[in-house]
Amino acid sequence: MSTTRKRVYGYLAEFKSASALYKAAEKIRDAGFKKWDCYSPYPIHGLDGAMGMKRSILPWFVFFGGMTGCATAFALAYTTQVVIYPTIVQAKPANIFTIPAFFPIMFELTILFSGFTVLFGLLALIQLPRLNHPLFASRQFHRATDDGFFIAIEARDSKFSPNQTKELLAEIGGANIELVEEEDS
Amino acid sequence: MAHHHVTSADIAINGDHLDNSKVAKAKNIAMAIAVLGTVFSFYLLFFASNATKGSYAYSWLFAFYFFLTLSIGGCFWTLLHNVSNSGWGTSVRRTFENLGSTYPWMFLFGLPLLCPQVQQYLYEWMNIHRGAHGGDVKEHLHHVDHLLYNKHWFMNLPFWYGRVIFWGVGLSCVIIFLRKLSIAQDTDANPGTKRLFQARFHSTYTLIIFALTITFTGFDFMMALDYKWFSTMWGVYLFAGSALNSMAVIILVCAWLKSQGHLKNVTGPEHFHIMGKLLFAFTTFWAYIAFSQYFLIWYAGITEETSYFLIRNTGNWNIGMIALVFGHFVVPFVILLQAWLKRNPKTLSIMAVYTLCMHALDHYLITIPERGVSLGGTHMSQGDAFAGLGPIQVAISGAFLGDILAFITIGAAFLFFLLRAIGQHSLYPNRDPRILESANLSN
Repeated sequence: MSTTRKRVYGYLAEFKSASALYKAAEKIRDAGFKKWDCYSPYPIHGLDGAMGMKRSILPWFVFFGGMTGCATAFALAYTTQVVIYPTIVQAKPANIFTIPAFFPIMFELTILFSGFTVLFGLLALIQLPRLNHPLFASRQFHRATDDGFFIAIEARDSKFSPNQTKELLAEIGGANIELVEEEDS
Repeated sequence: MAHHHVTSADIAINGDHLDNSKVAKAKNIAMAIAVLGTVFSFYLLFFASNATKGSYAYSWLFAFYFFLTLSIGGCFWTLLHNVSNSGWGTSVRRTFENLGSTYPWMFLFGLPLLCPQVQQYLYEWMNIHRGAHGGDVKEHLHHVDHLLYNKHWFMNLPFWYGRVIFWGVGLSCVIIFLRKLSIAQDTDANPGTKRLFQARFHSTYTLIIFALTITFTGFDFMMALDYKWFSTMWGVYLFAGSALNSMAVIILVCAWLKSQGHLKNVTGPEHFHIMGKLLFAFTTFWAYIAFSQYFLIWYAGITEETSYFLIRNTGNWNIGMIALVFGHFVVPFVILLQAWLKRNPKTLSIMAVYTLCMHALDHYLITIPERGVSLGGTHMSQGDAFAGLGPIQVAISGAFLGDILAFITIGAAFLFFLLRAIGQHSLYPNRDPRILESANLSN
């Protein structure tokens, strides 16, 4: 006796090649779906355009991350070497004109902070790491990391309808169309 | 992908040719300016007063080397395209080759620099060498200048002339050969991959000739202005400016051809995006190298090295140097971060023109500040040619008119030879095996 209720995640359909996936993605994009995704064993050039994806906001995070790194390094070097303990080397000035000596560390921290914002910003935007994904309930989906090309349209998309979405997927060449359910907890 | 997939039906079978009558007027005007300017320049270099001859020698060197870097960069992008087995650039490769093909002509403008009458104002080390008057140069140097005595193995007149001739002939042969190979494919009834592989093979070792040329023309013409000064970053620094600004010229040529209805189907926003990225990358690379050079010299504080920046941070030159930091790096860096801007030929062209202006400022500050300190204070004992040159000064007033004249003269010639090369053959390699790959580029 099982007491768990099931909730519909969406439809999963398999496509026979990368180019079939690409063409199907264009059609789903044109049908106006928003909450759906493509799954492929390897990156497909131009698929983001075929899916109609908007530009990521990530570059802005990285830009400000880098600026923060640059400012941090300057503040660190200036405070320690000019304000707290003026360090005079070869009669060079210990004031704002010492700045060439700070450049390497300013450069490095800019890169470091940019790198961190790329990594952590990306993880946050794609919601990783996570323990489970509803699609893992599908047996055939395991092939997405081997030789399977899939498209999943989620039930929470406003255009989703149990019959029409299934027909659409069949019409654009999807095979093994499967209704994926997730366990409601 | 919104755009149509390009197939061989979209490629002009006999090539895409520029209507030469459309540019005939511009070419004629450019040639007239170049011829008149060159004649007048020869008068200024060889027959004018000492003060004019001296200051104009620097003007000529500045303009000559500025345009030479653009041509050398054209050779660089051609070689890099071939050797990296690149597919994206095939549809714009002919523009690389056309720009590179101006190199032999631009090098000819360096001929006055082979004449002792001009050299005496530019290269002090040559004057000291010639002071031996036919005797044993090494013995002479041993008595007058120990530094030049030690540098004699590299800095001696026969070797200098030999090197300069090699820089002129070597890279010219390379670019002429590669362009011929590329053009022969355009009319081949059975175009195969033979020339593609040939170009790739021959671009490997000739890349070394390119590297030696950009480095050592920089040493022999520019660094030698002050024989006591040296910088290990010098070759890379000139290369950074050269690659950056030849890409700016390539962008301008492609944008212009595109606006005239050429390069249809084979180039699009994707190509401009990549060229814009290269412009951005080399802006950053230039800044990295320029700062490294400054930083190493500033940190070490060695007398022989600091002279370069001492001269250029004195008086109004300092304004130029600070303008370079912001104008050549900070401003274009922030602006070129925009992706949409790089995909639009118009906005990218504006940035390319801006970059070229900054390159002119960069090269002005490389060559011209040396003039006032080198020419001034030279005394009569060095010969009649130095009479009436005045004292050491930061800048020689009025001499900038000569800089403008030389720049316009050699610039007009550069424009003429570039337009001539563009009009000679198909504007893209229409029978290249990779033309479709390049036309359908997505990045």
